[in-house]
Amino acid sequence: MIRLQRCADCGRAQYPPREVCGTCLSERLNWDCGDSLPGHVLARTVLHHSNEPAMRARLPLTIGLVQFDAGPVAVCLLADTIVPGDAVRIRFNADALLEAA
Amino acid sequence: MIAHPYDNVALCCPVTEPYVRRSEHDAAWFLARTLQRLLDSAGIEKSAIDGLCVSSFTLHPDTAVGFTQYAGLSPRFLEWLPMGGACGIVALRRAARAVQAGDAEVVACIAGDTANETSFRDLVANFSSFSRDAVYPYGAGGPNASFALIADAFMRATGATREDFGKLAVAQRANAQRNPLALLRGPLTLDQYLASRPISEPLHLLDCVMPCAGADGFLVMPEPRARKLNLPFVRVLGAIERHNAFPDDPVQLRGGWAMDRDALWTQAGIGPRDVQMVQTYDDYPVISMLQFEGLGLCAPREAPDFVRRHDFTIEGSVPHNTGGGQLSMGQAGAAGGYLGLVEATRQVLGLAEGRQVRNAEHALVSGFGMINYDRGLCTAAAVLGRA
Repeated sequence: MIRLQRCADCGRAQYPPREVCGTCLSERLNWDCGDSLPGHVLARTVLHHSNEPAMRARLPLTIGLVQFDAGPVAVCLLADTIVPGDAVRIRFNADALLEAA
Repeated sequence: MIAHPYDNVALCCPVTEPYVRRSEHDAAWFLARTLQRLLDSAGIEKSAIDGLCVSSFTLHPDTAVGFTQYAGLSPRFLEWLPMGGACGIVALRRAARAVQAGDAEVVACIAGDTANETSFRDLVANFSSFSRDAVYPYGAGGPNASFALIADAFMRATGATREDFGKLAVAQRANAQRNPLALLRGPLTLDQYLASRPISEPLHLLDCVMPCAGADGFLVMPEPRARKLNLPFVRVLGAIERHNAFPDDPVQLRGGWAMDRDALWTQAGIGPRDVQMVQTYDDYPVISMLQFEGLGLCAPREAPDFVRRHDFTIEGSVPHNTGGGQLSMGQAGAAGGYLGLVEATRQVLGLAEGRQVRNAEHALVSGFGMINYDRGLCTAAAVLGRA
């Protein structure tokens, strides 16, 4: 399950989420929801160094900038074979992320 | 619209509290030491300081307000400028306008940070709410990962290569070898640069700045006051800042300079070919290339060709980061936002000793700060001129 914030007034999608629309400042925000959402990859890096000891066992880790078809750009973990320009599906996987301190 | 000129403003007394890899001292100590250096340099008493601009990451939980009590200052003008790599030029702009308006007479501008085993990680983990929630959990790569993504996109868009980035890094090291204040002064070849270990591809170790402790500062006052104190000073011919430029660009392939550079050069009354040196904010050479494009030294997407055509050492065709930049001096937190301005001031004053650029009449200085989420939000630039 993944959800992406969308303004009920101006229709603009945004990420990271916030309490008002960054375009029209409306407080009326809804969510686009799905098992995954479509996008494409803008840029890619292979990370060999992490500031967090908990992440180091997982290195190297491939990370990308991915633009949702809806517009916003997210920092994502990428499957190793994905390269910039590829069309992808974006889903949320809490297990893959650094746990909040 | 062109802003009012920075007439009657003197920028003087560039000082540096020497950088060290790590320190037991807190950030306020570095700022206080820098304040003392300013007083010694100007030959004035602390009570003469009636304006203050402060930038620091590790001063937290304090701000400029707490520092007034720490250092026993009672300014009538106070700025806290948490703008990272843009803080030096922004401080100069604020201080200059305060002096012109009579809100302050002598403004001390200082930036600095301490560094220890955990300070950098703590800073990166909580750098902003967007990065804490939407960047850091994805591998905790910090600024290396964020800039690697920008570098990857920039290389794809422009054809820039690691050799281009390396040429800048190698030239800066050559410049640093002539600067006793630089922490990294060992010889560096392009082969060594290329062979350094990957950190966040395409960035390798020698693309990255070394976090350290230290501080920089300068004074801003009316020209008659500087003359009365017999202080050599430089003039501010033009200065710009911009925040969150081009928010709809999906990746940051240009910074806010592109919005304001015409205003900068018009205000300065000279052009990019009339400066004898360029000081960019170099946390990663790719960002210096964004600044070459943004400030009009070359056209958009042509920074790789510009880098290949020029020599960036002190005697070269475009002397760049003449003290070694952050890549060779170290990144002392917010002082990284002052380093280029302080170096340019020294150069235009003729105080750069073993690394003096010939005929240094004009200098271009640029700042870039604060990867709040996926891009640096603060951009700034200034043109300085000999008085």
